[in-house]
Amino acid sequence: MHIDGKALKEGIRDGFPIFLGYFTTALAFGLLTRTSGFTFVEGVLTSMITFAGSGQFLMMNLYNAGSLLLSVVVSVFFINSRYIFMASSLSQRLSDPGSIPGRILCGFGTVDEVFTVASFKGHLLSYSYMAGLIFTSYVGWVSGTAIGFLGGTFLPEVVQKAAVITVYAMFASLLGSETRRGAKALLVASVSALLNSLLILAAGLSTGLSFLISMIAATIFGALIYTDEEAGIE
Amino acid sequence: MNKMVMIICCAAATMLPRIVPYFASSALSRLPRFVRKCMLLLPVAALGALIFPLALTDFGAMWYAGLAGIAAAFIVSLFKGPMILSIVVALVSTTAMLMAFPA
Repeated sequence: MHIDGKALKEGIRDGFPIFLGYFTTALAFGLLTRTSGFTFVEGVLTSMITFAGSGQFLMMNLYNAGSLLLSVVVSVFFINSRYIFMASSLSQRLSDPGSIPGRILCGFGTVDEVFTVASFKGHLLSYSYMAGLIFTSYVGWVSGTAIGFLGGTFLPEVVQKAAVITVYAMFASLLGSETRRGAKALLVASVSALLNSLLILAAGLSTGLSFLISMIAATIFGALIYTDEEAGIE
Repeated sequence: MNKMVMIICCAAATMLPRIVPYFASSALSRLPRFVRKCMLLLPVAALGALIFPLALTDFGAMWYAGLAGIAAAFIVSLFKGPMILSIVVALVSTTAMLMAFPA
Protein backbone atom coordinates (compact mmCIF):
# COMPACT_ATOMS: atom_id res chain seq x y z
CA MET A 1 0.00 0.00 0.00
CA HIS A 2 2.07 2.93 -1.26
CA ILE A 3 1.01 6.57 -0.99
CA ASP A 4 0.05 8.40 -4.17
CA GLY A 5 0.22 12.13 -3.40
CA LYS A 6 -2.12 13.20 -6.18
CA ALA A 7 -4.88 10.77 -5.19
CA LEU A 8 -4.41 11.68 -1.52
CA LYS A 9 -4.90 15.37 -2.32
CA GLU A 10 -7.97 14.59 -4.41
CA GLY A 11 -9.42 12.69 -1.44
CA ILE A 12 -8.71 15.56 0.94
CA ARG A 13 -10.36 18.01 -1.47
CA ASP A 14 -13.45 15.80 -1.88
CA GLY A 15 -13.62 15.43 1.89
CA PHE A 16 -13.81 19.15 2.56
CA PRO A 17 -17.63 19.44 2.32
CA ILE A 18 -17.91 16.43 4.65
CA PHE A 19 -15.51 18.16 7.05
CA LEU A 20 -17.79 21.22 7.20
CA GLY A 21 -20.94 19.21 7.83
CA TYR A 22 -19.31 16.91 10.39
CA PHE A 23 -17.59 19.68 12.30
CA THR A 24 -20.83 21.58 12.91
CA THR A 25 -22.78 18.42 13.81
CA ALA A 26 -20.01 17.23 16.13
CA LEU A 27 -20.10 20.54 18.04
CA ALA A 28 -23.60 19.59 19.14
CA PHE A 29 -22.46 16.06 19.98
CA GLY A 30 -19.56 17.33 22.08
CA LEU A 31 -21.87 19.61 24.03
CA LEU A 32 -24.32 16.72 24.55
CA THR A 33 -21.59 14.50 26.03
CA ARG A 34 -20.67 17.24 28.53
CA THR A 35 -24.25 17.87 29.61
CA SER A 36 -24.75 14.09 29.95
CA GLY A 37 -21.94 13.88 32.51
CA PHE A 38 -19.15 12.49 30.30
CA THR A 39 -15.57 13.60 30.89
CA PHE A 40 -13.68 15.27 28.03
CA VAL A 41 -11.70 12.07 27.40
CA GLU A 42 -14.87 9.92 27.30
CA GLY A 43 -16.64 12.29 24.91
CA VAL A 44 -13.74 12.62 22.48
CA LEU A 45 -12.88 8.91 22.72
CA THR A 46 -16.45 8.05 21.68
CA SER A 47 -16.02 10.05 18.46
CA MET A 48 -12.48 8.74 17.89
CA ILE A 49 -13.30 5.04 18.02
CA THR A 50 -16.92 5.07 16.78
CA PHE A 51 -16.92 7.76 14.06
CA ALA A 52 -20.68 7.56 13.45
CA GLY A 53 -23.24 10.36 13.54
CA SER A 54 -26.62 8.81 14.20
CA GLY A 55 -25.21 5.85 16.16
CA GLN A 56 -23.46 8.13 18.67
CA PHE A 57 -26.50 10.36 19.19
CA LEU A 58 -28.60 7.23 19.72
CA MET A 59 -26.12 5.93 22.29
CA MET A 60 -26.32 9.21 24.24
CA ASN A 61 -30.14 9.25 24.13
CA LEU A 62 -30.38 5.72 25.48
CA TYR A 63 -27.66 6.37 28.06
CA ASN A 64 -29.53 9.43 29.33
CA ALA A 65 -32.76 7.41 29.44
CA GLY A 66 -30.98 4.92 31.74
CA SER A 67 -31.17 1.94 29.35
CA LEU A 68 -29.44 -1.36 29.98
CA LEU A 69 -26.02 -1.84 28.37
CA LEU A 70 -27.24 -4.69 26.18
CA SER A 71 -30.17 -2.72 24.79
CA VAL A 72 -27.90 0.24 24.01
CA VAL A 73 -25.43 -1.95 22.11
CA VAL A 74 -28.14 -3.86 20.22
CA SER A 75 -29.88 -0.62 19.19
CA VAL A 76 -26.58 0.86 18.00
CA PHE A 77 -25.88 -2.30 16.01
CA PHE A 78 -29.29 -2.13 14.33
CA ILE A 79 -28.98 1.51 13.35
CA ASN A 80 -25.55 0.63 11.91
CA SER A 81 -26.68 -2.47 10.02
CA ARG A 82 -27.00 -0.38 6.85
CA TYR A 83 -23.19 -0.26 6.79
CA ILE A 84 -23.11 -4.00 5.97
CA PHE A 85 -24.65 -3.14 2.61
CA MET A 86 -22.65 0.05 2.07
CA ALA A 87 -19.35 -1.66 2.90
CA SER A 88 -20.18 -4.62 0.63
CA SER A 89 -20.98 -2.24 -2.20
CA LEU A 90 -17.86 -0.11 -1.71
CA SER A 91 -15.57 -3.14 -1.40
CA GLN A 92 -16.39 -3.94 -5.05
CA ARG A 93 -14.93 -0.61 -6.19
CA LEU A 94 -11.40 -0.84 -4.73
CA SER A 95 -8.50 -0.79 -7.19
CA ASP A 96 -6.35 -3.04 -4.96
CA PRO A 97 -8.72 -5.23 -2.91
CA GLY A 98 -5.86 -7.27 -1.42
CA SER A 99 -4.32 -4.93 1.16
CA ILE A 100 -5.34 -5.76 4.74
CA PRO A 101 -4.54 -2.34 6.33
CA GLY A 102 -6.26 -0.72 3.34
CA ARG A 103 -9.42 -2.71 3.90
CA ILE A 104 -9.43 -1.96 7.64
CA LEU A 105 -9.01 1.75 6.82
CA CYS A 106 -11.92 1.69 4.37
CA GLY A 107 -14.10 -0.22 6.83
CA PHE A 108 -13.31 2.22 9.62
CA GLY A 109 -14.25 5.12 7.35
CA THR A 110 -17.38 3.72 5.70
CA VAL A 111 -19.78 6.40 6.94
CA ASP A 112 -22.80 7.54 4.87
CA GLU A 113 -21.09 10.59 3.38
CA VAL A 114 -17.76 8.90 2.57
CA PHE A 115 -19.68 6.01 1.04
CA THR A 116 -21.73 8.22 -1.28
CA VAL A 117 -18.88 10.52 -2.36
CA ALA A 118 -16.59 7.53 -3.06
CA SER A 119 -19.31 5.55 -4.84
CA PHE A 120 -19.92 8.28 -7.40
CA LYS A 121 -16.24 8.79 -8.29
CA GLY A 122 -16.73 6.92 -11.55
CA HIS A 123 -13.39 5.10 -11.34
CA LEU A 124 -11.81 2.47 -9.10
CA LEU A 125 -10.79 3.76 -5.67
CA SER A 126 -7.17 3.76 -4.54
CA TYR A 127 -6.35 3.54 -0.84
CA SER A 128 -4.55 6.90 -1.08
CA TYR A 129 -7.75 8.55 -2.26
CA MET A 130 -9.79 6.82 0.46
CA ALA A 131 -7.23 7.79 3.12
CA GLY A 132 -7.50 11.47 2.15
CA LEU A 133 -11.30 11.38 2.09
CA ILE A 134 -11.63 9.52 5.40
CA PHE A 135 -8.92 11.50 7.20
CA THR A 136 -10.51 14.88 6.34
CA SER A 137 -13.96 13.72 7.48
CA TYR A 138 -12.50 12.17 10.64
CA VAL A 139 -10.64 15.34 11.62
CA GLY A 140 -13.88 17.31 11.27
CA TRP A 141 -15.79 14.84 13.45
CA VAL A 142 -13.22 14.48 16.24
CA SER A 143 -12.17 18.16 16.41
CA GLY A 144 -15.82 19.23 16.37
CA THR A 145 -16.55 16.95 19.32
CA ALA A 146 -13.60 18.31 21.31
CA ILE A 147 -14.45 21.95 20.59
CA GLY A 148 -18.16 21.35 21.24
CA PHE A 149 -17.34 19.82 24.62
CA LEU A 150 -15.07 22.70 25.63
CA GLY A 151 -16.83 25.68 24.15
CA GLY A 152 -20.33 24.56 23.38
CA THR A 153 -21.81 25.63 20.07
CA PHE A 154 -20.13 29.02 19.75
CA LEU A 155 -21.64 29.61 16.30
CA PRO A 156 -24.62 32.02 16.11
CA GLU A 157 -27.92 30.13 16.21
CA VAL A 158 -28.91 30.87 12.63
CA VAL A 159 -25.50 29.71 11.32
CA GLN A 160 -25.66 26.57 13.47
CA LYS A 161 -29.12 25.81 12.09
CA ALA A 162 -28.27 26.56 8.48
CA ALA A 163 -25.08 24.44 8.68
CA VAL A 164 -27.28 21.37 9.09
CA ILE A 165 -28.00 21.68 5.37
CA THR A 166 -24.33 21.16 4.32
CA VAL A 167 -24.40 17.38 4.27
CA TYR A 168 -27.84 17.19 2.67
CA ALA A 169 -26.72 19.68 0.00
CA MET A 170 -23.84 17.33 -0.76
CA PHE A 171 -26.26 14.43 -1.24
CA ALA A 172 -28.57 16.58 -3.39
CA SER A 173 -25.60 17.64 -5.51
CA LEU A 174 -24.58 14.01 -6.09
CA LEU A 175 -28.16 13.20 -7.01
CA GLY A 176 -28.22 16.10 -9.48
CA SER A 177 -25.10 14.82 -11.27
CA GLU A 178 -26.51 11.28 -11.39
CA THR A 179 -29.80 12.60 -12.79
CA ARG A 180 -27.89 14.39 -15.53
CA ARG A 181 -26.38 11.04 -16.53
CA GLY A 182 -29.78 9.31 -16.57
CA ALA A 183 -33.28 10.10 -15.33
CA LYS A 184 -33.65 6.60 -13.86
CA ALA A 185 -31.37 7.69 -10.98
CA LEU A 186 -33.93 10.28 -9.93
CA LEU A 187 -36.70 7.69 -10.13
CA VAL A 188 -34.83 5.20 -7.93
CA ALA A 189 -33.89 7.91 -5.41
CA SER A 190 -37.52 9.11 -5.33
CA VAL A 191 -38.70 5.62 -4.42
CA SER A 192 -36.37 5.45 -1.41
CA ALA A 193 -37.13 9.06 -0.42
CA LEU A 194 -40.88 8.49 -0.55
CA LEU A 195 -40.78 5.13 1.20
CA ASN A 196 -38.46 6.42 3.95
CA SER A 197 -40.68 9.46 4.54
CA LEU A 198 -43.82 7.32 4.73
CA LEU A 199 -42.25 4.77 7.08
CA ILE A 200 -40.89 7.42 9.45
CA LEU A 201 -43.64 10.05 9.37
CA ALA A 202 -46.76 7.95 8.81
CA ALA A 203 -45.84 4.50 10.13
CA GLY A 204 -43.64 5.78 12.98
CA LEU A 205 -40.76 3.36 12.36
CA SER A 206 -37.32 4.09 13.84
CA THR A 207 -35.00 5.88 11.40
CA GLY A 208 -32.51 2.98 11.35
CA LEU A 209 -35.03 0.31 10.37
CA SER A 210 -36.88 2.61 8.00
CA PHE A 211 -33.66 3.55 6.20
CA LEU A 212 -32.66 -0.08 5.80
CA ILE A 213 -36.04 -1.11 4.32
CA SER A 214 -36.22 1.91 1.98
CA MET A 215 -32.66 1.48 0.74
CA ILE A 216 -33.07 -2.23 -0.01
CA ALA A 217 -36.49 -1.83 -1.65
CA ALA A 218 -35.28 1.00 -3.89
CA THR A 219 -32.12 -0.97 -4.77
CA ILE A 220 -34.18 -3.94 -5.97
CA PHE A 221 -36.47 -1.58 -7.87
CA GLY A 222 -33.36 -0.04 -9.47
CA ALA A 223 -31.91 -3.42 -10.41
CA LEU A 224 -35.17 -4.25 -12.17
CA ILE A 225 -35.36 -1.05 -14.24
CA TYR A 226 -31.64 -0.59 -15.04
CA THR A 227 -30.05 -2.68 -17.78
CA ASP A 228 -26.83 -4.50 -16.82
CA GLU A 229 -24.89 -2.01 -18.93
CA GLU A 230 -26.43 1.04 -17.24
CA ALA A 231 -25.65 -0.42 -13.83
CA GLY A 232 -22.01 -0.92 -14.90
CA ILE A 233 -21.84 -4.66 -14.31
CA GLU A 234 -19.06 -6.37 -16.26
CA MET B 1 -23.60 1.61 33.87
CA ASN B 2 -19.86 1.70 33.21
CA LYS B 3 -19.42 4.39 30.55
CA MET B 4 -16.12 3.06 29.19
CA VAL B 5 -17.58 -0.42 28.65
CA MET B 6 -20.57 1.13 26.86
CA ILE B 7 -18.37 3.33 24.64
CA ILE B 8 -16.16 0.41 23.60
CA CYS B 9 -19.10 -1.96 22.99
CA CYS B 10 -20.88 0.64 20.85
CA ALA B 11 -17.69 1.26 18.86
CA ALA B 12 -17.47 -2.49 18.20
CA ALA B 13 -21.15 -2.60 17.19
CA THR B 14 -20.35 0.16 14.67
CA MET B 15 -17.06 -1.17 13.31
CA LEU B 16 -18.06 -4.82 12.83
CA PRO B 17 -20.74 -4.18 10.16
CA ARG B 18 -18.37 -1.74 8.42
CA ILE B 19 -15.13 -3.74 8.38
CA VAL B 20 -16.25 -7.39 8.02
CA PRO B 21 -17.73 -7.01 4.49
CA TYR B 22 -14.32 -5.86 3.16
CA PHE B 23 -12.96 -9.27 4.14
CA ALA B 24 -15.78 -11.15 2.45
CA SER B 25 -15.14 -9.89 -1.08
CA SER B 26 -14.42 -13.35 -2.55
CA ALA B 27 -17.79 -14.54 -1.24
CA LEU B 28 -19.40 -11.34 -2.54
CA SER B 29 -18.01 -11.83 -6.05
CA ARG B 30 -19.54 -15.33 -6.17
CA LEU B 31 -23.02 -13.93 -5.53
CA PRO B 32 -25.61 -14.13 -8.31
CA ARG B 33 -25.43 -11.49 -11.03
CA PHE B 34 -28.64 -9.79 -9.87
CA VAL B 35 -27.30 -9.33 -6.34
CA ARG B 36 -24.03 -7.86 -7.67
CA LYS B 37 -26.09 -5.49 -9.80
CA CYS B 38 -27.96 -4.46 -6.64
CA MET B 39 -24.62 -3.66 -4.94
CA LEU B 40 -23.79 -1.26 -7.77
CA LEU B 41 -27.17 0.49 -7.56
CA LEU B 42 -27.18 0.76 -3.77
CA PRO B 43 -25.57 4.26 -3.73
CA VAL B 44 -28.31 5.82 -5.88
CA ALA B 45 -31.01 4.10 -3.83
CA ALA B 46 -29.41 5.28 -0.58
CA LEU B 47 -29.33 8.93 -1.71
CA GLY B 48 -33.09 9.46 -1.61
CA ALA B 49 -33.47 8.04 1.88
CA LEU B 50 -30.39 9.92 3.12
CA ILE B 51 -32.06 13.20 2.12
CA PHE B 52 -35.75 12.62 2.92
CA PRO B 53 -37.37 13.13 5.32
CA LEU B 54 -34.50 14.06 7.68
CA ALA B 55 -33.38 17.13 5.71
CA LEU B 56 -36.86 18.54 6.36
CA THR B 57 -37.54 17.22 9.88
CA ASP B 58 -34.12 18.43 11.12
CA PHE B 59 -35.54 21.95 10.71
CA GLY B 60 -38.73 21.16 12.63
CA ALA B 61 -41.46 23.70 11.92
CA MET B 62 -39.12 25.46 9.48
CA TRP B 63 -38.94 22.46 7.14
CA TYR B 64 -39.19 24.78 4.11
CA ALA B 65 -35.68 26.08 4.92
CA GLY B 66 -34.34 22.54 4.44
CA LEU B 67 -36.35 22.06 1.26
CA ALA B 68 -35.04 25.33 -0.19
CA GLY B 69 -31.44 24.26 0.46
CA ILE B 70 -31.85 20.84 -1.12
CA ALA B 71 -33.70 22.18 -4.15
CA ALA B 72 -31.00 24.83 -4.68
CA ALA B 73 -28.16 22.28 -4.43
CA PHE B 74 -29.93 19.88 -6.79
CA ILE B 75 -30.58 22.53 -9.44
CA VAL B 76 -27.00 23.84 -9.32
CA SER B 77 -25.57 20.37 -9.94
CA LEU B 78 -28.19 19.63 -12.62
CA PHE B 79 -26.65 22.56 -14.51
CA LYS B 80 -23.16 21.11 -14.02
CA GLY B 81 -22.22 23.34 -11.07
CA PRO B 82 -19.43 21.88 -8.88
CA MET B 83 -20.38 20.40 -5.50
CA ILE B 84 -18.85 23.26 -3.51
CA LEU B 85 -21.07 25.75 -5.40
CA SER B 86 -24.11 23.58 -4.63
CA ILE B 87 -23.24 23.72 -0.94
CA VAL B 88 -22.67 27.47 -0.87
CA VAL B 89 -25.94 28.16 -2.71
CA ALA B 90 -27.77 25.78 -0.36
CA LEU B 91 -26.31 27.50 2.72
CA VAL B 92 -27.38 30.91 1.40
CA SER B 93 -30.89 29.68 0.48
CA THR B 94 -31.45 27.96 3.82
CA THR B 95 -30.15 30.94 5.82
CA ALA B 96 -32.31 33.33 3.78
CA MET B 97 -35.41 31.20 4.44
CA LEU B 98 -34.62 30.94 8.16
CA MET B 99 -34.29 34.71 8.42
CA ALA B 100 -37.19 35.63 6.12
CA PHE B 101 -39.73 33.20 7.62
CA PRO B 102 -38.86 32.49 11.25
CA ALA B 103 -41.28 30.03 12.86
